[in-house]
Amino acid sequence: MREGFRQELKELKAEVVSIGRRCVEQTVLSVRSLVEGDPDLAATVVAGDDEVDQRTLAVEEHALEVMATQFPVARDLRLLHSLTYIAWHLERMGDLAVNIANSARRTASRRGPQTLSDLIQAQGNLVHRVLEACLEALEKNDLDLARKLPDLDEPIDHLYKQFFRELARLQDEEDIEWASSMIVAARCLERIADNAVDIGERMQYMLTGTFEATGESAER
Amino acid sequence: MTDKLASQDPGDVLSAGADKFTVDGLDFFYGAFNALSGIDVRIKEHAVTAFIGPSGCGKSTFLRCLNRMNDLIPGTRCEGKVRLDGHDVYGPGVDPADLRRRVGMIFQQPNPFPMTIYDNVAYGPRLHGMRKRADLDAVVEESLKRANVWKEVKDILGRGGLTLSGGQQQRLCIARVLAVEPEVLLMDEPCSAIDPTSVQKVEDLMAELKDRITIVIVTHNMQQAARVSDYTAFFLQELAGEAAHLIEFDRTATLFTTPRDRRTEDYITGRFG
Repeated sequence: MREGFRQELKELKAEVVSIGRRCVEQTVLSVRSLVEGDPDLAATVVAGDDEVDQRTLAVEEHALEVMATQFPVARDLRLLHSLTYIAWHLERMGDLAVNIANSARRTASRRGPQTLSDLIQAQGNLVHRVLEACLEALEKNDLDLARKLPDLDEPIDHLYKQFFRELARLQDEEDIEWASSMIVAARCLERIADNAVDIGERMQYMLTGTFEATGESAER
Repeated sequence: MTDKLASQDPGDVLSAGADKFTVDGLDFFYGAFNALSGIDVRIKEHAVTAFIGPSGCGKSTFLRCLNRMNDLIPGTRCEGKVRLDGHDVYGPGVDPADLRRRVGMIFQQPNPFPMTIYDNVAYGPRLHGMRKRADLDAVVEESLKRANVWKEVKDILGRGGLTLSGGQQQRLCIARVLAVEPEVLLMDEPCSAIDPTSVQKVEDLMAELKDRITIVIVTHNMQQAARVSDYTAFFLQELAGEAAHLIEFDRTATLFTTPRDRRTEDYITGRFG
């Protein structure tokens, strides 16, 4: 019975990592749709969110079933509990990628200053790096890497501030609505990275049994 | 031995509440065989403490050290200190019978006396000099109520105790112990031979009794330990033929979520044993 239980835990964790990869893809595509002004690509991201929602819900249901039937304790209990939280963070990331894609749809036919587009792309690249590190840490139970996530997140926050400085330089003739959509997108990217940092904190509890809150919570 | 106990920090875990039992450096021997070694533990008053561990890990042996039940087994001896309310239970002048009245015991197999339900419960009080029928009636009713079996037997008190179901017999035995007002109840796998409904009733009564009594339970059922106890002690004999040790002692919620010792973790998650 315990072997079957352990196999279930493995599969559940692999599914969470797989959902994480899907969220990375959604994030990358949403940024591309925004920077390239591609409404079709943005629509693909929006349509793809249902899958993320369904899969994260299935993880939660499965984790509850395992808790109810297998009476997990210690690291098994912490794993299941943490996977449920991590799935929730991934679901939030998926929603934020949809918000970025919606910004792309609203602004597809318009263009603004290249500097802001470049900043969004740069921020997207940094977020991509945090997400990859987050998933690698989760997949390999790499506590050191999980603890490094706040450091990887820091330049994203700096870039977000730089974004506002660039906005302040906009001239009257610039498209303010376009710029507003960029602000929304930049904020969403920053929060996607915060969710990744929160996942790292959850992982620390999962692996050590103690909470080591480090970075800014995505929910603050 | 130091490393065996390195994971526990009794001072930290046991800083709150009064100690009913304090055990220091306990070793127990069956003849030449050192069955338990270096046991240091504090049993909290008015709490439920569970002993868990694989078969042969010495948890029942240790339980029996607490009220000197092992004295009845020839060739056994105990070293170290076991104190009840600060007094050495193995000290000179201690009457084991009086100790066992203060520290009652429930066994795996229910063992009612071959007499009526009423007389089973009244047996102890009568032995201690209670004679008035009204007093005995009151003690019998109160004890059966506290043991969660009154409703089932109140109309058949004159029937033989052995005619009851196994689960009812076990609760009758608990009532028999409670009738002499013990301070501590030692329970050696009290639920392993009874039906699920009775298990529930025994677990419920443990929660109710701990306001007035200190309870120590040995159980093979880890879910039961997690459900009913406030503190849990994990015992382990790592190699056959060697002494068993207390590996970890902690609040139950802590031990079952974040055990400090890898051996505890492996045992409670079913990775060995």
